[in-house]
Amino acid sequence: MSKASRELNYDGVFVYRLGKQVDTMRIIHKSDADGSIERLVSLTGHAREVIRDKDQVRCYFPENKAVVVEKSRLGKLISTYLPHPIKSISEFYIFEIAGEDRVAGLDAWIINIRPIDKYRYGYQLWIDKKSRLLLKSELKNQLGVTLEQIMFAQLNVLDEIEDALLEPSVSDKDYTWHHNENKENIDVTSNDKQWKATWMPAGFTMSEQSREAMITSHMPVDHLIYSDGLAMVSIYVEKLNQQPDANTGHSNFGGVNTYATHTGGYQITAVGEVPEATVKLMAASVKSYQ
Amino acid sequence: MNEQNKELLSALIDGEVDLDNKMLDTMTHDQEMKDKWSRYHLIGDCLRGQLPEKISGYATSCVTDVLTNEPTVLAPQKSKQFNLKPLAGFAIAASVAMVAVFSVQRGNDVDPVSTSSSIASTSVNEIIAQPKTYSFPEVQMLPASVSDTDTPEAIANKRLNNYLMNHNEYRSNGSVNGMLPYVRLVTIESQE
Repeated sequence: MSKASRELNYDGVFVYRLGKQVDTMRIIHKSDADGSIERLVSLTGHAREVIRDKDQVRCYFPENKAVVVEKSRLGKLISTYLPHPIKSISEFYIFEIAGEDRVAGLDAWIINIRPIDKYRYGYQLWIDKKSRLLLKSELKNQLGVTLEQIMFAQLNVLDEIEDALLEPSVSDKDYTWHHNENKENIDVTSNDKQWKATWMPAGFTMSEQSREAMITSHMPVDHLIYSDGLAMVSIYVEKLNQQPDANTGHSNFGGVNTYATHTGGYQITAVGEVPEATVKLMAASVKSYQ
Repeated sequence: MNEQNKELLSALIDGEVDLDNKMLDTMTHDQEMKDKWSRYHLIGDCLRGQLPEKISGYATSCVTDVLTNEPTVLAPQKSKQFNLKPLAGFAIAASVAMVAVFSVQRGNDVDPVSTSSSIASTSVNEIIAQPKTYSFPEVQMLPASVSDTDTPEAIANKRLNNYLMNHNEYRSNGSVNGMLPYVRLVTIESQE
């Protein structure tokens, strides 16, 4: 693919709104022959930064004087996550152009993505007519209420990005570095208990299954991922070695709903950008099988 | 416009049938069909990022119609405009185009030429193979490691936080908005 001429560099400031909370961030994105590199900087609150390239993701936490390094999962999921769900997207969401608008001084198309049932959320997207960059994005519930929003206040598509702009602004000399790049998933053996959700909205399929070590858990946690192509629900199954936690039931974090329940000494938690009913029904439907 | 014509129009746009004289005749004498033809193509072009610099006044009026007639809230009510039988080919192309749009956003190496051929001939796999994705870092040590002095409730909270971050990590690979998970990371303390 002759991509050089089409690669985009951009530098923008956007506002992120979650409920009543509003934060401002800057994103600097550079593409060249070596791949893409991107830096995300919080302009409000703690000056956290995330810098990612094709090999690594580095997260700077000034308030903890810490850097967490993760391996880039570049493309890791593509084979399992797609393309089956992509075919089903059109059956469960309606795409339409809702009109034109201006965002960050740029002319944009508004695209609506509406779910056909109550088990998923909708999206409204503003796409720059010229660069095709996403200028604004809203996650909406069934009533049309916006749950989460990202909106650029300023966005410049540039010919060149100076490398200095992609360096962290904090001095990381006295920072503690946490390296998680080499962490591998634990193999699931045939003797282990297997889990699956027995109910999910039409169009959802399991796209990935893994067993992961988590620092908050004494035992590895089974992680099932279900998707309809746009929305994604994670189900975590964890053996409890003590009395059940007090925290079961529903929690909400902006567009993300969670629901936790217990069955036979295991805690089952569903997490996803879907309505409460969906995580609740899916969590309650999880069964083990050999 | 009857069902059969709708199907035909859809197939035409998808490049599944050739335009013959009879079809041409129908097209030119059926105003509704002409409108739809224009509108479908406009939407398809937009989703594929192929809009002309200037859209003709006629096409623009179609978009205005859509804007006027469409509820902007994402209510579950059925829309008159788009309630016709889903144009399978178009709808799939639209979703593929979404992938393309966000690939441009994230990876910038989707080849517009390959995505722009005809709606029907756009290779799903070809486009899907292109997006560059990044992982959401598992910030498990910060702020959520468990200590022995934690109450069961505190442990449960931290565990849930970890689940959320872990979920975000995967989500950034496949979601509509690849940037959002990182945004959540940067602001997550406010949620605690």
